[in-house]
Amino acid sequence: MSLVGQYLGAVAATVRRDAAIFVSYRLRIVSQALGMLLSLATFYYVAKLIKPGAVGPRDQYFAFAMVGILTTSILTSALTTVQIVRMELMAGNFERVLVSPMGPMWGVVAIAAFPIGYATVFACAMLGISAAVFGIPLHAGGLAPAFGVAVLGALSLASIGLLFVAGLLAFKSAMGATWVIAGLSLLGGAYFPVRLFPGWIRWTSDVQPFTPTVDLLRHLLVGTAAREAVWLELVKLAGFTVVLAPLALGAMRLALRVSRRRGTIMEY
Amino acid sequence: MGMNVRDALFTRPNAETRPPASGADALMTLDWISRSWGRGKRRWPVLRGVNLQIPAGAAVRVEGSNGAGKTTLLRIAAGILAPDAGTVTVDGLASDGNWREYHRRIGFLSAGDRGLYARFSVKGHLQYGARIAFLPRATRKQAVDEALVRFGLADLAQRRADRLSQGQRQRLRLALTVVHRPRVLLLDEPRNSLDVDGLAMLADAVADVLDAGGAALWCSPTGEEQPIEFDRTYVLRDATLEPS
Repeated sequence: MSLVGQYLGAVAATVRRDAAIFVSYRLRIVSQALGMLLSLATFYYVAKLIKPGAVGPRDQYFAFAMVGILTTSILTSALTTVQIVRMELMAGNFERVLVSPMGPMWGVVAIAAFPIGYATVFACAMLGISAAVFGIPLHAGGLAPAFGVAVLGALSLASIGLLFVAGLLAFKSAMGATWVIAGLSLLGGAYFPVRLFPGWIRWTSDVQPFTPTVDLLRHLLVGTAAREAVWLELVKLAGFTVVLAPLALGAMRLALRVSRRRGTIMEY
Repeated sequence: MGMNVRDALFTRPNAETRPPASGADALMTLDWISRSWGRGKRRWPVLRGVNLQIPAGAAVRVEGSNGAGKTTLLRIAAGILAPDAGTVTVDGLASDGNWREYHRRIGFLSAGDRGLYARFSVKGHLQYGARIAFLPRATRKQAVDEALVRFGLADLAQRRADRLSQGQRQRLRLALTVVHRPRVLLLDEPRNSLDVDGLAMLADAVADVLDAGGAALWCSPTGEEQPIEFDRTYVLRDATLEPS
């Protein structure tokens, strides 16, 4: 097997492990699905109070918010990777990866793979279910490209998650992930269009990957008008991924070197 | 009277000046390892110029009182802790060099009972361990099955780790240490919770590694009875390694 195949096989084994542990909590999926549906139901009724045409054609606010909420769930899974690594450190399980040929760098990527992959699939399933339950017509032709955008967005957001893991490994601190999730989703326009922000803060929407991700997904899935040309938003999203992924891997490498020198790599 | 070749392979005395690195025939070499903990005035040395060379086929025990630095020594040997000075090599590979190839060659067992996933099966652990150790597909299943049998875990293969006794957990941890057939075993207090059968399984596993041309570095507290015979025993005292 090639070297790349060996690493991918190790990542797949980690995903299988995490999936096995996940399904051992039998009611977790049902609980998550019910929670998401209740959250969407709230927005379904709130949407009736929104004045027609606020985000597009009549009655489109719910579709707008629905895609925003589901995209936020992917963002949340990416940034809570740091909590999973923290738990692995506390339980002493991270040493299994540390002393393996796979190594800590790929180990962390592998640890992030299941929750982000699961969140992406879960969001897709919930999209279908909620579209059926709440009567939101999805653009069939946009489903496949939307999945591609979701994967690209997940990769970009995962890179931000890895930056937090690097901070955790180097400084034993996992602070900040929660407010970054809230900040990115707020400034990225998860719940309302970013044009409602005052001009002095609107620029923050343009320098983070959540904004093009959610905007493209809305455009492809429910036909909301894109903020900018689709190709430009795609280039932006790809650009964020290209910049953030090596940055995150470099930070991880540095953090591992620091924690190996300090002797804290196995501890929390 | 001069040292014989075997003596020379195991260790060199600590010295004020760094001796030239040799160890051409050693499978594992710890060369002039130093490590301190703490910062500034509260910094204290745990290892000072430790040298150890372990030839293929040899089992070495390092004993010492609590806090002597045994775990620090093993973690440095495992490549997960950087020494302040010195180098570690296995099979000529440096611990801070090619991570993949270095860790293919070592099997590390930490002290305690951590490192298991509560809701994951015994067999699942071993399959996962074999996979992240890059064991080839052709030998993976056999290696997992052998590890299950070797450590008396075959009947527990589908049982979750949180349903195992402490001794069974330790057997699983040992099985994970050897499932990828490492050349060098690094064992930190491996007796933990093992019964007589478990100790025999541990001794057999170490013997198999040695018979295959591997080596073992075993750390345990002073005074603890050991289930295997060692080629050499050292004591870690005052941050230095001395023959016991």
